[in-house]
Amino acid sequence: MHYKDYVNWEKMPTSWCPGCAIGIIFKQLTFALEKLEIRKEELVIVSGIGCSGRAAGYFSSDSVHGTHGRAIPIAEGIKRANPALTVIVFSGDGDLVGIGGNHLIHSARRDIDLTVICINNETYGMTGGQMSPTTKEGIKTPTSPGGNRYYPINIQGILTSNKRHFYARSSTYKINHLQKVIQQAIEWKGFAFIDAIAFCIENFGRHLGFKNAFEMLERTKTDFKIPANKDKVLAENELGIMKK
Amino acid sequence: MGNEAASLGALKAGMTFFAAYPITPASEIMHFLAGKEKTIEFIHAEDEIASIHMAIGASLAGRKALVSTSGPGMSLKQEAIGLAHMMEVPLVIINVQRVGPSTGMPTLPSQGDILQAKHGSHGDYIPIVFYPNSVEECFKYVIKAFNASEESRSPVIFLMDGFLAHLSETVDLSKIKVRAKPRTLEPLGKGNRHFTGLLSKDGVPKTKDTEFYREWYSRIKNKMLETASRYSFFEYIENPTASSLLIAYGIASRVILPLKTKYSIFRPITLYPVLEKELKRTARRYKKVIVIEMNDGQYKEEVERILKREVEGISVLGGTIQLKEIKERLNAL
Repeated sequence: MHYKDYVNWEKMPTSWCPGCAIGIIFKQLTFALEKLEIRKEELVIVSGIGCSGRAAGYFSSDSVHGTHGRAIPIAEGIKRANPALTVIVFSGDGDLVGIGGNHLIHSARRDIDLTVICINNETYGMTGGQMSPTTKEGIKTPTSPGGNRYYPINIQGILTSNKRHFYARSSTYKINHLQKVIQQAIEWKGFAFIDAIAFCIENFGRHLGFKNAFEMLERTKTDFKIPANKDKVLAENELGIMKK
Repeated sequence: MGNEAASLGALKAGMTFFAAYPITPASEIMHFLAGKEKTIEFIHAEDEIASIHMAIGASLAGRKALVSTSGPGMSLKQEAIGLAHMMEVPLVIINVQRVGPSTGMPTLPSQGDILQAKHGSHGDYIPIVFYPNSVEECFKYVIKAFNASEESRSPVIFLMDGFLAHLSETVDLSKIKVRAKPRTLEPLGKGNRHFTGLLSKDGVPKTKDTEFYREWYSRIKNKMLETASRYSFFEYIENPTASSLLIAYGIASRVILPLKTKYSIFRPITLYPVLEKELKRTARRYKKVIVIEMNDGQYKEEVERILKREVEGISVLGGTIQLKEIKERLNAL
């Protein structure tokens, strides 16, 4: 299948703001699906709630857009009911790691064969740019007006604490890397999590002084590197895969 | 045991996916079905919210799915119940009631979740709710609950109580002939269908379209009421000399059964949608209508609303129900 055939063109344009990062990840996923030759009849995309949550409906395959934080258990139910399906969760950091955090921990522990793509833009974009579990320390948002007092969650640590695991960090700047990571995650037999570093210009970046989406994209370029030594634990600013 | 009978009923109905979280007095359902994990997909989920969402996913993917819980868990499942109504997903949810609110009196029986079963999730929706009163009925009506959920494409709530769940009775299951209906929802993997909690038309969100909401709601309402009309279950024990009608359901209806020598008894098995026609028709000739229930008048409110007349209520609170107390309170009315 051509990558464009994974898109439900009737629903275009998307509801996302100009300069949104979600589309970049969405497109890399369609490339990965084409490379893996996955037919849309064997594919189900599941999303939670939020900007990224709308993604499920933009795929041409069957898709489910559930409740806030519960994309993973819905996906687990689907996969266990019909293991022949390729089930991909496409949702945001607030949804998967915040309100849905418990499900992330436990589906990963049970090592259910799912691919979870977390569009990590460090904020609750749809509801107005509040701080999320992945927001950096000191960042000012409507719910952290004095600057975020907390350190962001260590998703890598949570995932890799399982005996068997697949945790990858990639970014919207390194699109080839992102695409390869998505491909490997789908091929991985077990729970695979991709921390896709993204950004939100309209409801988050502008308040932080970014003038446009490109400036935010540039930040992911300068802030994140692919390390030379690929066997060690990823530092906060490193992209790569931790799998075992 | 009621819990076992309900589990066996689910298996008979063709249920092949079960997810739950341990909670007394519903856990025996989990224990029993865990023993069937070679033939069904059994999941001890991380929490109450996960279990119902897994069941929704499994139902979408082609399995008849069941979840079981008790009050605190039922409260946690409410958002997902709304989702299943919105997405029109068949599912059966067993709630073995115990005394609330909150952790309450763990785990004495109660009938306190009647109105929650009707309107526990936010927004308007019309649920189908059954409440049996014997071990045999737990088996029989779980099958009917699955059938109703398939026909209405909605989550059907199956109420029980701690008494009924742990009640032991001898039942010849081979004599109970209820046929299981086939699946109505084509499983995931067809391509290009979008299931969402958003109001949508053919998978396209219509979140600002008031006119479409009204049209959609009227379709859903008609569908639910039309299906429910084929699932209007009740028992009426008429005493020709009686001038008062007792209304009770679940374990309370078992306890008051000896009173049939003095009163007539109406027992709704389908609690929702409320059996309006049947209640009106039955209550007409009685001077007094008295609802006996283990809550503070939840179903009495419904009966009053339907009959549009004063209805007496005997609220048996605190997890214990005795015929002696009910007799005394009836005499004092």
